[in-house]
Amino acid sequence: MNLDWNVIWTYRGALLEGAGMTVLLTVLTMLMALPGGILLALMRLSNYRVLRGISLAFVELFRNLPLILIIYWAFYVMPMALHVQMSAFTTALVALVLNISAYNAETFRAGINSIRKGQMEAALAIGMSRRQAMFKVVIPQAARRILPVFASTWVSLFKDTSLVSVIAVSELAYTSMQIRAQTFRVLEMLTAMAVIYWMMGYPQAKLVDWIHRKYGVKE
Amino acid sequence: MEFDFSPIVDNWRFLANGLGITLALSAVAAVTSILFGLVITLFRLYGPRWLRPFLVFYIDTMRSIPVLVVLVWIYFAFPLLAGVTFPPFWAALVGLTLHIAAYAAEVIRAGIESVRPGQTRAGLALGMSRAQILRKIILPQATIRMLPAFGSVLTIAIKDTAIATVIAVPEIMHQTEIVAGQSYRPIEVFTVAMIAYFLILFPVTRGVDRLYHRLAHLGRS
Repeated sequence: MNLDWNVIWTYRGALLEGAGMTVLLTVLTMLMALPGGILLALMRLSNYRVLRGISLAFVELFRNLPLILIIYWAFYVMPMALHVQMSAFTTALVALVLNISAYNAETFRAGINSIRKGQMEAALAIGMSRRQAMFKVVIPQAARRILPVFASTWVSLFKDTSLVSVIAVSELAYTSMQIRAQTFRVLEMLTAMAVIYWMMGYPQAKLVDWIHRKYGVKE
Repeated sequence: MEFDFSPIVDNWRFLANGLGITLALSAVAAVTSILFGLVITLFRLYGPRWLRPFLVFYIDTMRSIPVLVVLVWIYFAFPLLAGVTFPPFWAALVGLTLHIAAYAAEVIRAGIESVRPGQTRAGLALGMSRAQILRKIILPQATIRMLPAFGSVLTIAIKDTAIATVIAVPEIMHQTEIVAGQSYRPIEVFTVAMIAYFLILFPVTRGVDRLYHRLAHLGRS
């Protein structure tokens, strides 16, 4: 078997662009899923039954579906059902945001619920308003507990962006597989793809471990 | 807009086969992942010291690359290297096991390490061997604590089998794509697939939650 690793250097520009697209998708998705998750969590904790119901249904639906199916569904069904035309990139973003918002909502809800009720009551007792108690007492403590889980979600998201290659968004996985198809350098390209993902993902995974060690809740 | 569900009715056997393969693949992958994860963890905690960095490196590597990449590499690239070809189902099983086992290993390690070291010392003081302590004291307690997390491994396995569609494993995701493409009825076909996946996954995640609440107090020591 003759291997030609030069193909990776030849296509370095395309691969770099693909990696850039992967990072862009991860960052954009998180930027939108963060407020999305907060909104869903607040809806879930609100006093209105309808809002709670909507949030619960949304979160349970998108947490209990494989992401790849959501991507296909967003690609084939959403444009027809809603009569909108979207680029593959936008479609991918919508699917990822729906999925990650659901996870974030659960993270935020669990974080806020993990702060004992007594603290909210104590804050109210010393004359703080509900808003003050929430923002000055509950949320600062919840944030520390949320951070490790949030970091794990980030790494999952980074890896899950590879799934949007099925609708031809030219991120790293799609780009690598396109080059493989053009050059027939299967082993070289697929190995390069794995190594580039590793180079980007490994430091993130280690950082997540560090955050867990530093901020993780010890029982 | 008119809906036409006849493609699903006409192809129900084809789709049902896919569903069967999804269930079989995810169940087998969950079991092999947990077993492989257990082997990794036992070697990591009790094996020779020089092996540890390699196992940690393996776990962290699998945590940092997407499962799609692992599946595609095993199916398309590995045969070129080794000179053997796998059918898609077996490639998917190997790829999913390699990937999910890393998560299972972390779960199992957390479970074993959650049993206080004092219990090991107490066992040693009573004259038990290391193997006896592991088998009679640590694993029974750790297993109860790990059960809910094993349930999560199963949900991960079910969701990840859907990704095996990229290497043409004839599971439900792949069959859905085929039926949707042939019938030009993507709305109906994908929506039915969505309902099918939800009906499988929702009871499992709910079951995991209930198991967790049921068992949480048993695991305390």
